[in-house]
Amino acid sequence: MALAREVYQAFEDIVGNRNISEDIGVCETYRSIPSQTSAHYGPSKEWTPLPQAVILPGSTEEVQNIVKICNKYGIEFKAGSTFWATMAYIGGDNAVQLDMRRMKSIEIDAKNMAAVVEPFAIAGTIQAEAMKVGLNVQIPGVGCSSSTLASSSGWAGFGPASIFMGANPENLLGAEWVLPNGEILRTGSLGSGDGWFCGEGPGPSTRGILRGIFGPAGSMGVCTKIATRLHPWPGPKQFRTYGKAPAYKADFGDNFKCYTLCYPDWESWARSVQYFHESDVLYIGHRQFNMFGRNLKAFMLNIITDPEKQLSDLPELLKDPEIQKHNDNMKHDYQVVIAGMTKRDMEYKEKAIDYILEQTGGWKHEMMLEKEKHDYALAYMTRLGHKNLNYVMCGAYEGTFGLSGNVWKTIQVVEEASAQKRKWETEHTCIAATGGDSAMGGVSSLGGGGATGWEFFTNFDSYELESVQGTSDMVDENQAFHNKYAFGPDFCRWNSDVRHVNGYSYTQEEHDEMFAKAPQPWIYAYQYKIREAVNPNHLCGSYLRTLSPGKLEGK
Amino acid sequence: MALQDLRPMMERCSSCSGCKFIPFEKIQSVRFAENCPSIGYYNFHTYAARGRFQLSQSVLDGRTELTETVTEAIHSCTSCGLCDVTCKITRYNLEPLAHNLEQKAYAVEKGAVLPAQKTIMETLAKENSMIPGTKKKNRTDWAKDLNLKDLFKEKGEIAFFAGCKYSYDEKLQKTAQDAVRILQHAGVDLGYLGAADNCCTGRAKQMGYFKEFDKGANTNIKAFEKAGVKTIVTPCSDCYNSFKRQYAELGMEVEVLHVVEYIERLILEGKIKFSKSVPMTVTYHDPCHLGRQGEKFEAWEGIDKKIFNQIHIYEPRKPRYNGIDGVYDAPRNILKAIPGVNLVEMERIREYSWCCGAGGGCSQTLPEYSAWTAGERIAEANSTGADALVTACPWCKDNFTDAEDEDGNKMEVLDIIDLVHKAI
Repeated sequence: MALAREVYQAFEDIVGNRNISEDIGVCETYRSIPSQTSAHYGPSKEWTPLPQAVILPGSTEEVQNIVKICNKYGIEFKAGSTFWATMAYIGGDNAVQLDMRRMKSIEIDAKNMAAVVEPFAIAGTIQAEAMKVGLNVQIPGVGCSSSTLASSSGWAGFGPASIFMGANPENLLGAEWVLPNGEILRTGSLGSGDGWFCGEGPGPSTRGILRGIFGPAGSMGVCTKIATRLHPWPGPKQFRTYGKAPAYKADFGDNFKCYTLCYPDWESWARSVQYFHESDVLYIGHRQFNMFGRNLKAFMLNIITDPEKQLSDLPELLKDPEIQKHNDNMKHDYQVVIAGMTKRDMEYKEKAIDYILEQTGGWKHEMMLEKEKHDYALAYMTRLGHKNLNYVMCGAYEGTFGLSGNVWKTIQVVEEASAQKRKWETEHTCIAATGGDSAMGGVSSLGGGGATGWEFFTNFDSYELESVQGTSDMVDENQAFHNKYAFGPDFCRWNSDVRHVNGYSYTQEEHDEMFAKAPQPWIYAYQYKIREAVNPNHLCGSYLRTLSPGKLEGK
Repeated sequence: MALQDLRPMMERCSSCSGCKFIPFEKIQSVRFAENCPSIGYYNFHTYAARGRFQLSQSVLDGRTELTETVTEAIHSCTSCGLCDVTCKITRYNLEPLAHNLEQKAYAVEKGAVLPAQKTIMETLAKENSMIPGTKKKNRTDWAKDLNLKDLFKEKGEIAFFAGCKYSYDEKLQKTAQDAVRILQHAGVDLGYLGAADNCCTGRAKQMGYFKEFDKGANTNIKAFEKAGVKTIVTPCSDCYNSFKRQYAELGMEVEVLHVVEYIERLILEGKIKFSKSVPMTVTYHDPCHLGRQGEKFEAWEGIDKKIFNQIHIYEPRKPRYNGIDGVYDAPRNILKAIPGVNLVEMERIREYSWCCGAGGGCSQTLPEYSAWTAGERIAEANSTGADALVTACPWCKDNFTDAEDEDGNKMEVLDIIDLVHKAI
């Protein structure tokens, strides 16, 4: 169903004819295919609905005018920036897709340690601009090609540096927000005309609406600008690298060190993490390279750090007993980066690491101390520019289990989860057999130290139907594991209550049925009221979990 | 190879946005972070490699027709190959450039072409040139007074191949003549193909006209063989790529050198000496087809297989073109050897250099877009504080010459041969 001519013309009048298209070919490229990206509602080969038009606004005013037209004619809309995550795509047939690509400005406020950014400002460019003035931005675990605005205002947004810099929802210092009804809300201190320094006021606070691990994911209008807190960067003003593509390596100077810390068992591993939570030593802490799996990580590190090597070298490398020894030595591991603000600070941090290792029986992994591997890991962890190695083995991955929470809880179940994944690796062929344990994620998903944020990387072939379906079946079985421990939805199913597998939004009736029986249903009823206040025409899909208040049991 | 054969590649792309930026570790500013001219200009996701993968899936599934917009989208790829480099930073089995070219070939086969492409291809068919309005009979006029040997008449092993742009463009002919004089002055015994000098047809391939490329390439390979050519020297980066990569794939075994490689060699051998100072600060633009697409062709025959259930590998190991072994150091070494020249670098260089906008035929088929692309480079060059932008390709030079950045600023543009000539 094409848009009525008057509606299309109204949109075109706002953005100009270069910035709108209803061409079938253009619109087809704005459909997400959940097997080809991480959708968090399970891999499938379905395509999300076809937008009626794609619109590229260039300013807040244009966004506001588009939203007003959508309200006038009852047209759904959704904004996306990088078009990586499926949550950025529309969920119905009578909908237009907003592509925020033209809005990518970055203003660095060095004095107040903040950056005011638009939707298509990716973390990599914000970091580059911040480093020029000795500052840094928290990059979510997904990598530096993600939109910082999206990870601050719409979704989880934690990453390797969260232990030092906090998660992006924690860093949100205010937003310019075009509500779904077309009004503009400026949150926090910005809302009282006092600039971008505090997300909670003086001025309207939207804590619990714009932020949180299950954020609105673009279902509550369009944030056109946010301020994010920046953090100290004691390194060079440019992200200095050396080496050949694809194995670029960091050249930051002596006040940076990247270690792979290893422990004899999970108990000592967890104790060390707890010490790091308490000691304020780490700049970055992440179990990163275990994403390649317990059986393969040292071998994969020998491939990715060498520009001449490729996956085809894996069978030969696997015969190398020296690398096997290195692999065996990094079973319970994680990567850390320390950054010395001064020479003495660096000395203190080095001593603190040594002390923690001594207390826990841990060691620095020898292979990862080799200069080129060290420098590669440092570049990797600092910019997260190589994060898309997630996909290198098979073409697709989904995170499963999602053992996020208290580190002591995580280690109780990690081997059981690993065994369950290993069973699928050995009894089926749908996923890559990498050794069961492929748990990776931050040693803290909160500033200062706290809950871990883990997922088991599960690699599959998005081209092969059996692989896609088999992976989905495996996640269903993993959900039983989650149910047994009351862990909630599996990481791979986090979004299964906000979008159908075929990409369409849920109806209110469907959500009522789900959430009336969910734990803490008042939350969903509260979110219903919020939505009714600012999104009375229900125009942005069903990512905001809502429950009609009348459906609350006992009411 | 047909577009359908690349379906696994299309479906294994994970939409990570690597194809929209230079390698992330190389980003120094938001202004010069992006890598793809076509999405840079048109802005829709459709125009990035990911969008192109998805577009192909939709076309092959029959949901998308080759509309005018789709046709322009397909042919707006400048074939610069930067998305190919950046994709391969983290993906070992995707080749966006090969896909984009195959997508163009598919469109050409279905008749979905741009109006200007038809004219260019008619010129190629009739006059053996990629430049409409030119005549075959005038192709070697530029070389009249240069004492170049006609290798079909006189014995010689080194063929100078100017290419269409240098041969016909009056503004550029002097550069080609100077290149010949520089080499001759250093004692190189140069010849050319005379009446058999034709278009290399590389740009035809860049536009998706694979059959026409094959036809032209095979004719030229036979001509080089018949003339007894052992080494081809060309000042044109497009021709260089054609001979070194594309012709090699068709079996040609002749040594191929770009003029900058030959000049660098002669400087090292002491056969070229600079006697004059050229006091200026310059910045160097790496032509796509000399730089990242200037890597040597390596033949491969093998299979794609899976290990550990689903991990893709090639058996035997497949050559991986990630742009790092292109011609980057030779032009820089020449510039550093010229007295008085101070070389300053732009943010996007070497394997992640921004395209001039002329590739893929775009300077002729989509001139407004092509000029914008060149203007972006002018802005970057001006940001270095350089007096001039130097390059080593006539298509790049021509596209930069009249280009302006967003504020209307221009820049002096020089071919590296011009600078060498000034210094001798």
